[in-house]
Amino acid sequence: MFTYEIIQEESKSIVKINGDLDIDVTEIMQDEITPALMERQDIEFDFSNVPFVDSSGIGLLMTLINELREAGSQVTITKVSQEVMYVFSLLQLPEILGREIFVDLKRDFEPVSDTN
Amino acid sequence: MFCKVINHDQQNLDSYLTLKREIQLARKIQRKLLNGEKPILINSQVSGFSIPASMIGGDYFDFYPLSDGKVRIIIGDVMGKGIPAAMLMILTRGAFRSAAEVTEGPGETLTSMNKAIFKDLRTLSSFVTVFCADWDPNTGSLVYANAGHYMPVLVRGNTETFELPDLKGVMLGGLPDQVYQEKEIRLLEGDTLFFYTDGIVEAQNCHGEMFQIERLHETLMQNAHKTASELETIVIDTLTNFTEGLPQKDDITMVILKVGTGKDQQR
Repeated sequence: MFTYEIIQEESKSIVKINGDLDIDVTEIMQDEITPALMERQDIEFDFSNVPFVDSSGIGLLMTLINELREAGSQVTITKVSQEVMYVFSLLQLPEILGREIFVDLKRDFEPVSDTN
Repeated sequence: MFCKVINHDQQNLDSYLTLKREIQLARKIQRKLLNGEKPILINSQVSGFSIPASMIGGDYFDFYPLSDGKVRIIIGDVMGKGIPAAMLMILTRGAFRSAAEVTEGPGETLTSMNKAIFKDLRTLSSFVTVFCADWDPNTGSLVYANAGHYMPVLVRGNTETFELPDLKGVMLGGLPDQVYQEKEIRLLEGDTLFFYTDGIVEAQNCHGEMFQIERLHETLMQNAHKTASELETIVIDTLTNFTEGLPQKDDITMVILKVGTGKDQQR
């Protein structure tokens, strides 16, 4: 069961995601979360309760982050579990979205080598 | 009024039947493309197998014969599943076939594929993970390149399993102008190399547990002496037992390369 909660802390919007991020989340992501975040400047996605992501979930996340950035928001992702970060690293998400988006990356994970 | 209702229901039924027929045709086309001619190899077997989660799927594998008896192998997973993923799978197949013909190695093939389909994938907010390798049965050399895909599992001598030395690369559609690096490994007689998509290791049972890579290693090690097609069946049976008949959530695809023991082993 996927749920989310948006908590406003001063100027920052913290989006706490709970549950697997996969293809079943498509409608919630596109119809609820994206419009709800569109006007916000500083957005943090809290992944502490995301045990699993698959390729569809990563696609949804990439689309969401790109849309929010195009709308002028600053986005970060925090508290990613090692299992989920393994999948992010496999697909080289830090290289695609920018390493700065993963604020815990330096603390918990070795840098990923470049392909170039 | 009653007549209008009947007509409306009839229209819905007609639309449903048309859609069903078209999806079945699309499934047939996809199965034919996936189950194309297998390459003739000296002293080795190569085989591929795919089960979509829906009527049609987004997983992909292919074999492209090269000169001197070599073959280029590719396995890929398009983001998502069903009809949208199947459409992009065809796009990926076209890019691979075109690139394989004019590129020297797997790294160059992935570089060319990304160049060809990057814009389309970005426009559609999608991406594809692929692993590509050139197998030379004459020398035992396997040269490979990776675009965000799981590394294949190598079973050596029925006693040892390990993943190929890691090689990172951005998934196709992730970043423009990527140059994909290559690595090489020497395969030995009796080796089995298992390429796969995430639908295998992420298959879930009713307790929410995933099959995971450890169970895959165990299954492969116990059955590495079987033929490629027997091994395919065993992996599927093991997955079915594990999931206890729970509906398949993602496409499942595998490619098996077995290095033989002296005789031609074409399937």
